[in-house]
Amino acid sequence: MAWRALWRVGPVLVPRCPRLSPPALRVPAARRLATSSLVLSARKFTDKHEWISVENGIGTVGISNFAQEALGDVVYCSLPEIGTKLSKHEEFGALESVKAASELYSPLSGEVTEINAALADNPGLVNKSCYQDGWLIKMTVENPAELDELMNEDAYEKYIKSIED
Amino acid sequence: MSRGPVRVLRLGLRPYAEALRVQERCLRAARAARTGPGVPGVAGVPGPGPGESVVLSEPAEPVYVWGLRGAPEAEVAARLRARGAGLAAARRGGRITFHGPGQLLAFPVLDLRRRRLPLRGYVAALEALVLRLCRRLGLAAARALPPPFTGVWMGDSKLCAIGVHCGNHITSHGLALNCCTDLTWFDHIVPCGLEGKGVTSLSRELGRHVTVDHVLQPFLDSFQEVFDCTLVFSEDPGD
Repeated sequence: MAWRALWRVGPVLVPRCPRLSPPALRVPAARRLATSSLVLSARKFTDKHEWISVENGIGTVGISNFAQEALGDVVYCSLPEIGTKLSKHEEFGALESVKAASELYSPLSGEVTEINAALADNPGLVNKSCYQDGWLIKMTVENPAELDELMNEDAYEKYIKSIED
Repeated sequence: MSRGPVRVLRLGLRPYAEALRVQERCLRAARAARTGPGVPGVAGVPGPGPGESVVLSEPAEPVYVWGLRGAPEAEVAARLRARGAGLAAARRGGRITFHGPGQLLAFPVLDLRRRRLPLRGYVAALEALVLRLCRRLGLAAARALPPPFTGVWMGDSKLCAIGVHCGNHITSHGLALNCCTDLTWFDHIVPCGLEGKGVTSLSRELGRHVTVDHVLQPFLDSFQEVFDCTLVFSEDPGD
């Protein structure tokens, strides 16, 4: 309904169609649980459109294609310092686009081990390569059980469709 | 899906910090409206009352405000203070700008998830709203420009600045429309970090004295049209 409202209004910057296009790279679904660390897990998603992919106990976090399309061109990434401890759902930074600051929320509890330095000079990577070069932070996984609470890719795609209708 | 009216809080002439405090209460109300119990007897409206609001004010004192970026260096900050202005950081997009008397400050606190509106669609809607208002006032030549020039312009001069925040799909901050602002305050900064651009006001463009009170009704009319809502006037943020 909001889309129709925008079409009625005159010279408006019309957003592109929000259909989710599938990510270019599909991570294999196999997941093996070691005693205290995850070897490789498939990408999981939050309902706030962040994704996390865990390898050898370290999670890489980014935003989904749906999110980067909704934001528009990212011009600035405000990310936490290495060593910051985050709880699941805690706000860890913001992305700025079209004069809008949009919060980022941590998918899991853990400690920030790395931030993507390439984003300082090239914040557009978040739009161009949201699942690869546009990753935001890496963090430890304090509680692997939290990963089970997140959506897998199929569930996330269904979730997107449900909120679009 | 029924959405309920948008609550309008007209604060009048108030310090910027006070408008922020009222906005914070509106944000609490918006979050509560998502999870709270329904309104008895009204189907499909979750929460104790209108979850969405728009806070309207006219900054009582001059203040320079920056967003995630654009914090002034210490020397610049000292000079701005020496001119009698306050300084503040706000968690919003956009760089440094000026707020003061003669300016309409509007903070829509809307739930973009309920509206199924992506963030850049929301910013486009704010621009559309101001363009409608300008047309109502006789300024058909006003236009919105694509990023990084988000905002509403008359030629090379910015009439209305936009800078928003979105957390959990709920918006805050918003826009600042120069009605009869003393534009010399902008001389001491590079507004929004855009070199070589000017600023203007409705009064300057229309050649007559246009106050914030003059534009309130046409602003609200345009708001209702663009956001497809009804309005309810209130003194209470509802938190």
